[in-house]
Amino acid sequence: MGKLPGVDTAPVAVQARSLKRTFKGGIEAVRGIDLAVSEGEIFGFLGPNGAGKTTTVRMLCTLLPPTEGSATVAGVDVVADPAEVRRRIGVALQEIGLDPVQTGRELLELQCGLYGIRGAQARARTNELLELVGLTEAADRRTKTYSGGMKRRLDLASALVHSPVVLFLDEPTTGLDPASRLTVWDEMRRINGEGTTVFLTTQYLEEADKLCDRLAIIDAGEIVAEGTPERLKAEMGHDLVSVTLDGADAETTKTALGDLPGLERIVAEPDALDLYVDDGAALIAEIVRRLDRERIQVGGIAVARPSLDDVFLKATGRRLEGQEVEAE
Amino acid sequence: MTEIFLLGRRSVREILRFPEATIPVLFIPLFFLAVNIGQVSETFPSTTPFLEGQSYVAFQLPVSLLFAVATAISGLALVTEIDLGYFDKLLVAPIRRSSIIFGRLAADLVRGLGASTVVLLAGLAFGAHMESGVLGAIVLVILAALFGVAYAGFGVLVALRTRNVQATNTSFILFFPLLFLTPNFVPFDRLTPLMEALARANPVSYVIEGLRSLVIEGWVLDKLALCLLVIVAMGGVLTALSLRAIATYDR
Repeated sequence: MGKLPGVDTAPVAVQARSLKRTFKGGIEAVRGIDLAVSEGEIFGFLGPNGAGKTTTVRMLCTLLPPTEGSATVAGVDVVADPAEVRRRIGVALQEIGLDPVQTGRELLELQCGLYGIRGAQARARTNELLELVGLTEAADRRTKTYSGGMKRRLDLASALVHSPVVLFLDEPTTGLDPASRLTVWDEMRRINGEGTTVFLTTQYLEEADKLCDRLAIIDAGEIVAEGTPERLKAEMGHDLVSVTLDGADAETTKTALGDLPGLERIVAEPDALDLYVDDGAALIAEIVRRLDRERIQVGGIAVARPSLDDVFLKATGRRLEGQEVEAE
Repeated sequence: MTEIFLLGRRSVREILRFPEATIPVLFIPLFFLAVNIGQVSETFPSTTPFLEGQSYVAFQLPVSLLFAVATAISGLALVTEIDLGYFDKLLVAPIRRSSIIFGRLAADLVRGLGASTVVLLAGLAFGAHMESGVLGAIVLVILAALFGVAYAGFGVLVALRTRNVQATNTSFILFFPLLFLTPNFVPFDRLTPLMEALARANPVSYVIEGLRSLVIEGWVLDKLALCLLVIVAMGGVLTALSLRAIATYDR
């Protein structure tokens, strides 16, 4: 595998150069992105619905040829040698790919067979994976009887039969209940702990923050920010003071706080004002004084460090959930 | 070949676990067989020259066989798999894409052998007898099943091209003109000139003629060869188009 250019000497597991995909009708889903994922890391690909996450994953997994640009996965060019790429990757796509007529065991044994693992070896690997994802009890039931969480875990297991070098997980926790989400997170950490590089797409900030070593934020087909979650948040260089209005007039409150020292900007949220300031804790007393002076009664004041959502907001002008806000 | 075996075994398992898809398909040919015989056997008694001493059921049996094996079940299974996302799972596995098609067609062969055996036994129960004997019955069942495999390529092709359940389902309608613009009720020379011309231009006519020859005439090699040629050509073209469709899927 190649090396990550100019950063360190870590081998590169996934690399994309000017990767672009245009669909019929001229829709540019991915607009010439560059990516470099180091071997052994959990790399997060964060973005809202329709940002280009799935299209990128499909290109990297050889399911969709790029319109322009190039990409290598596990050291192999996705266009020149897609068959070799497929041998080296595991894939769990957004739509859980299970055959409802088969049992969990049959599905995994078939998956083993398709990756050249046969006979007793396939049966042993199947049992091992069923145990790992906690589906031994349900192994001989048809998958159509599984819950959403069970289906996701089986799908994950099916992506692991051949111990892939790189594992692509496209929104693996979308639609799962909190308990199932935590199980999938644990499983991702365990897989990564064994040395597998994980390329994770998600629209959940918490997921990206907790799991990923590094991440890229994609919006409208372009990468708008990239780095470790800590570095991205640190680059924001401010605290967030959230003033809950609880019936107080937003404009009056904004006027009262508009010229606070160290205030970068105020963002109006429904029933709250978010103040981006240099040092939140130091400003609390001044904020309270000013509100008191203007006789403005607010619901509460909270100070927080910047979140990935703030990073996303700064990069795109929108919250990740797609909520349009007015930045001033 | 192993991939085809694995995927074929999965598809056969699907047939066994989902008989609701196969049983209604069998009902139609058996219903047609019974109704046609009931309505027409008085008009065409066994003394009718083209029946060569057999009852009319012998003449109708090949038509019912084709009805039993020509289905869009594989196409529907494939388009459902595309909908569910399992198809992507198969595409991203390190296998030849053609094995996905051949795995489906292998199941059509098994289904076709089963369905045509049931229809043949029904035909025999209604009074037909195989002029070509037991070996002829085996060849009849195999040829009918192979026609089913060839025809399944059409459903698979529609599934891959449209990725739409309704379109794949309605692709079965194409079979009606193919089956009825043939000498299905009477021989070529008893058809009106226009219908005869259309029937002679329809390759399925020669499949019916070949199968019918095994029931009524015995071993007529030129009819059998033409029947096999049509099945191979039709299967070859539709399978080639399906293979092309799956190779360029998502481009």
